[in-house]
Amino acid sequence: MSAGKQIRWAAMVVAFFALVSCGVFAQVTDQQHGTVIAGAVMYVTPDPNAAQVARPNRGRDTWLMGKSMIDGKEWAHIMVTMSQNSFSAPKTITGWTDARLVITSATPNGDQILFGEAVQAQHEAENGRRESEEEAMRLYYRIYEYFRSSPLAPESLWHAADLEWQLEKKGVFSRPSAREMSPDARAEIDEEMMRKVMKEYPRTKWSDLAAYDLLDNKICGRWNGETKCPEKETDLFEHYAHEHAQSPKAAEALYKAAWRQAVLVDMYKADHQNDKSQKAKRRAMQIAQEISTKYPEGDWKPRAAQLTYELQQGLDISTEGHREARK
Amino acid sequence: MKASLLAATAAWFALSAFASAVERGTILRSADLHASPSTNSEKVQTIDRGTELNISEQRKAGNDSWVKVSIAIPGATRNEPAREISGWLQATPVVIASAANADEVIYGEAVDSEQQAEQSGGRKGAAQDAMRLYSAVAQLFPNSPLAGEALWRSADIRHQLDKGSGKPPDDFYLNQVISRFPKTKWADLAAFDLIDTQLCGDWNGLPDCPAKEAALFENYAREHPQSPKFGEAVFNAAVRQGTVADMYRMSNDKEKSTAAHTKALALAQELAGNAAQGEWSYRAADLIYKLQQNIPLYGVSE
Repeated sequence: MSAGKQIRWAAMVVAFFALVSCGVFAQVTDQQHGTVIAGAVMYVTPDPNAAQVARPNRGRDTWLMGKSMIDGKEWAHIMVTMSQNSFSAPKTITGWTDARLVITSATPNGDQILFGEAVQAQHEAENGRRESEEEAMRLYYRIYEYFRSSPLAPESLWHAADLEWQLEKKGVFSRPSAREMSPDARAEIDEEMMRKVMKEYPRTKWSDLAAYDLLDNKICGRWNGETKCPEKETDLFEHYAHEHAQSPKAAEALYKAAWRQAVLVDMYKADHQNDKSQKAKRRAMQIAQEISTKYPEGDWKPRAAQLTYELQQGLDISTEGHREARK
Repeated sequence: MKASLLAATAAWFALSAFASAVERGTILRSADLHASPSTNSEKVQTIDRGTELNISEQRKAGNDSWVKVSIAIPGATRNEPAREISGWLQATPVVIASAANADEVIYGEAVDSEQQAEQSGGRKGAAQDAMRLYSAVAQLFPNSPLAGEALWRSADIRHQLDKGSGKPPDDFYLNQVISRFPKTKWADLAAFDLIDTQLCGDWNGLPDCPAKEAALFENYAREHPQSPKFGEAVFNAAVRQGTVADMYRMSNDKEKSTAAHTKALALAQELAGNAAQGEWSYRAADLIYKLQQNIPLYGVSE
C-alpha cells in the first residue's frame, strides 16, 4: 500500500470512528433531555440543606448532566431553561435536585408519565391553580420534543398548541380591539404551533382540530348589526365542515354555520330584505338537516332540531346573538 | 288537490283530539302567563323554560295563537305539595309533546341552556333552565332514546347546583335515574355522583377518611365495571391508598404504610396500559412511577 493510500485509509478510519462516536454522543445527549415533575427544588450542591437555586415548574426544558449517589439518595445534576418569554432571553440555571423528579427520554414509560402529569396539571388548572395551565402546555410539548416516536406525540403536540392558543386567545379577545368588527383590527393569535401540528400530522384528528382553532383568527370581533360578518362566518364554518368531514368539530362547525344563517333571518327582515331573509332561513334549515343526517350521534342533532323548530315557529334567535358573535 | 284534502283531514283529526284531551308540553322561552288570551290582560306569573304544562285549549286572538295551560308549581322542598295555577300563554314558544321531534327539540334547548350556563356572562338561571328542560324530556317522552340521558343530566345539574350552594344533598333525583334506567350508563353515572355525598370534607391529616373514600371508590368500580367512571374511580381509590401510605409512613406505622402502598400500586396497575381507560391509564402510569420511586403524594419526602 502506497503512503498516499495509507493516509487516505487512515483518514477514512478516523472519519468513520468520528461519525460513530458523534452518533453515540448524540444518542447519549439525547437521552439526557427531559423535564422535571412534582415540585422539584434545585440546590447549589447535592444536599437538602444547601442553598436553593430555583424551583423549576413542571415541564421546563431540562438537561440531565449527571447523577450522583449521596447517603443512599440519588441526586441529579441538571440544567434548566427557566425564562422563555418575549421580553428576555432564555435563562439557564444549573443545580442539583432529587433524581426521581427528573424524567428523560431514557425513563421507561417516560411519555406516559409525562402525559399523566400533564393531564393532572390540566385538572389542577380547571380547579383554579393558575400556573398549572402553562405547566400542562410545557409537559405536553416535552413529550412531542423528546418522545417523537411515542404514539402520544401527535396528541401531545396538539394539546400543547391548543393550550398556548387558548391562553393567547383569552388575551387577544379581552382587548378593546376585539370589539372591532374586522378581524384585522386585532392582533393575530400566533399560528406557528397549529401549523406545525397540521404539517407534522396531516390528515389526523389533531390536524382537523388545529384547523378548527385557526378559524378564530378569521371571525369578526363584533357584528355591529351588519350582515356581512355572519354571512362570511357561515361560509367559513361550512367550508371547514366539508373539508374536515371526519373532524370531531365538523358537526359543531355546521351548527355554527346554521345558527348564523338563522340569526340572519331576523337581520334581513329588520332591513326589509325579505328575499334574503327567506333564503337565509332555507339555508339554515338545509344545514340543520345536514347535521341530522351526517351526525346523528351526540348533542348536535337535537340542537339542529331545536334550531329548525325555532325557525319554523318564528322564535327570536338573535336575542342571544351576542353570545356567539365570537366563536 | 288530493294532498291538501289529506292534510286538512289530518289537521281536523289533530284538532279534534286536542279539543277532547289535555295535551302535555313545555316552553322553550320564559313567558308571561296571562289571565286571558291577551297581552293586555292581567299577568299571573312568569313561566320559566322547561316548565311542564298541561294544555287544555288553543285559541286564536288577533294575529296571535294562545294556549290555555295549567301548571303545577313545585313547593320549596320536594315534600311540600305543588301549587296549581292556570292561565294563557302565547303559543309560539310552547312545544306540544305530540309535535314532530319534540323530544329532540326540547333536548336541544336544554343542551343550549347548559352551554349558556358554562359560559362566563351566560344567561342568568340557564343551569336551572337546562335542569328543567332535560327533566321535561324524561317526563314527557319516557320511551324516547334520549330519556335516560336527559333524566341523568337533569339530576346531575341539580346535584352540582346543590353542591355549589352548600345545600344538603338530596339523593332522590339520582336514585330516580338508577331505578328508572337500571343497569345503564346513566345509572352508573348517577351512582358515581352519589359517592360525593359520602366523602369527608377535610381529611385532617388522618388516614381514616382517605381509607374510607378509597374503599368507596373501589367498591364502585367493582360494582360498575362498565361505567364510563370506572377509570376515574380506580384512580381515585389508588391515589387515596397512596396518601394513606404516606400518612402511616409519617406516623411511623411501617406495616400499615406498606400495605396501603401495595394496594395503591395494585389499583394503579389495573389501569396502566389499558387504552380503553383513556387519560386515566396515563395518570395511572404517572402514579405508578411516583409510588415506585417513593415520591410522596402527601406530606414531605423522607
